[in-house]
Amino acid sequence: MTPNERWTTIAVTVIILVITAPPAFAQSDTSRIDELERQAAAMLEQIAELRAELEQAKEQKATPDLQGLRAETVAARQAAQRAEAAASEWKDVTSVTHLSGYASAEFISPDNESSAFVVNFNPMFHFLYSDKILWEAELEFEVEENGDTEIGLEYSTVDVLLNDNLVLVAGKFLSPLGNFRQNLHPSWINKLPSAPPGFGHDGAAPIAEIGMQLRGGVTVGNQSKITYSGYIGNGPKLEGEDGEIHAIETDGFAGNADDEFVFGGRFSLLPMPKLEIAVSGAFGDVAVVENDGADISGDPTRDYTVFGFDASFQVGAFDLRAEYISQDVDDQAMSVAPGGGEWETWYAQGAYKFGQAKWEGVVRFTDFDSPHADDDQEQWALGINYLLTPSAMIKFAYESNKGEAGEPTDDDRWIAQIAYGY
Amino acid sequence: MKNTILRIIPVALLAASFLIGMLTVQGYVVAAEHDATTQADPMQFSRGAQTWANNCARCHNMRDAKSLRDDQWRVAIVHMRVRANLTGQEARDVLAFLQGSN
Ligand code: HEC
Repeated sequence: MTPNERWTTIAVTVIILVITAPPAFAQSDTSRIDELERQAAAMLEQIAELRAELEQAKEQKATPDLQGLRAETVAARQAAQRAEAAASEWKDVTSVTHLSGYASAEFISPDNESSAFVVNFNPMFHFLYSDKILWEAELEFEVEENGDTEIGLEYSTVDVLLNDNLVLVAGKFLSPLGNFRQNLHPSWINKLPSAPPGFGHDGAAPIAEIGMQLRGGVTVGNQSKITYSGYIGNGPKLEGEDGEIHAIETDGFAGNADDEFVFGGRFSLLPMPKLEIAVSGAFGDVAVVENDGADISGDPTRDYTVFGFDASFQVGAFDLRAEYISQDVDDQAMSVAPGGGEWETWYAQGAYKFGQAKWEGVVRFTDFDSPHADDDQEQWALGINYLLTPSAMIKFAYESNKGEAGEPTDDDRWIAQIAYGY
Repeated sequence: MKNTILRIIPVALLAASFLIGMLTVQGYVVAAEHDATTQADPMQFSRGAQTWANNCARCHNMRDAKSLRDDQWRVAIVHMRVRANLTGQEARDVLAFLQGSN
């Protein structure tokens, strides 16, 4: 019996006793009344005791439950707070590190030389602080013919986001002149396995620069945009050979042997999305600092100018691009290599995606001219790519090359490449 | 003559960059404050989707939003902002879109 039920029973008994008492009282004597009074008092006492017992029982039952619940709630709240903090800490931290880059494996088969497999690996490192400063760097690993691994610092810059329209870039950066070298050369981006002639080393397009750059963009109206970049850098080096300028080296140098800087920039207009038209230019003084394989100093400087134009347009499944760039050095009568010259190249490329964008066909024409006939090349390249993912693909290409007879630039080539940007 | 013109172009570009930079510093501060106070910009996601569609296939194939985690997109978009000369607003919008779609 619960205290409640007991209490009810006793209450009912008392009521019955009270109801049944008067007949008893009618035929009573005082001792019976006394007896009843005694019994009633005893019962009231019992009721009071039971009530106390009931109160106590109620309290005992309720207290541990309330406390338990409270503790459970606190624990649950703390667990939720910890989980929430853990879930967002990797998103909300001020410093984030990201590793990306690209790699490719290739099989190259020229008509008149031996075929070979080649490989390269370009890891890229990003360190971001507070969405205001990004340090980006890319290494280039390439295995050479003799088995040695060549390592290069492709670029390493600190990018300071000054405001919504301007970023300060300092360090070694890809030349902002033209489009191919800064934006299209990674193997997972380039739609053909090779760079267009003149866009490689010792070509017509500047590759990299060590210095400072300001770049950014502004939207104009609803759909149009302009972008700009301007830089100052150490500039290129001229390489002399047999009394001629053999090449303009533009890999980005940490020294400034000619003691002259180069200034340049690119300005682009996007009158509508997916259509970009840009001009690039640079000028400065350069000097021959390497002659017949040996470093030299004191060769007089001469004018250096770059002019470039590039355009790209995406429409439907088509991707169309064209780019012209030239580097020009003046004559310098007092130099070990007095004659100047112009290195210029241009290409036009069309690509078309089909088969649910899994396949892409590409055709590209390039014409590279330099002061040296053995470097000059005219090329038709045809390619077909199978996209495993948007940034991983297998490319097959055929290059029909026209250069000086007997030179590698005259050799047609088949190339198969697997490229992956991660 | 050609040389003189070629010399003027980059200097003018550099000067223009500085000028635009100085003119927009004010706007940036306002934008940054605005950003902090209005976490939920209801149009940001759809603006971001548009900016993504307009810009992210210009140089390379578009990667799926699911190819990176939120924190990785945060870095990649700053990287792309510099590379593709996106405005700060475009970068924030695209980031919101990608982080909301992965
Ligand atoms: C102006 C050309 C250009 C545009 C426009 C562009 N990208 Fe890129 N993107 C690149 C280049 C170049 C790389 C490779 C960087 C390298 O290897 O140095 C790259 C790399 C990437 C990567 C690989 C990871 C990383 O950070 O390097 C991702 C992801 C990416 N882009 C996403 C985007 C998105 C999203 C957009 C649209 C906002 C975009 N890109 C617009 C040129 C561009």
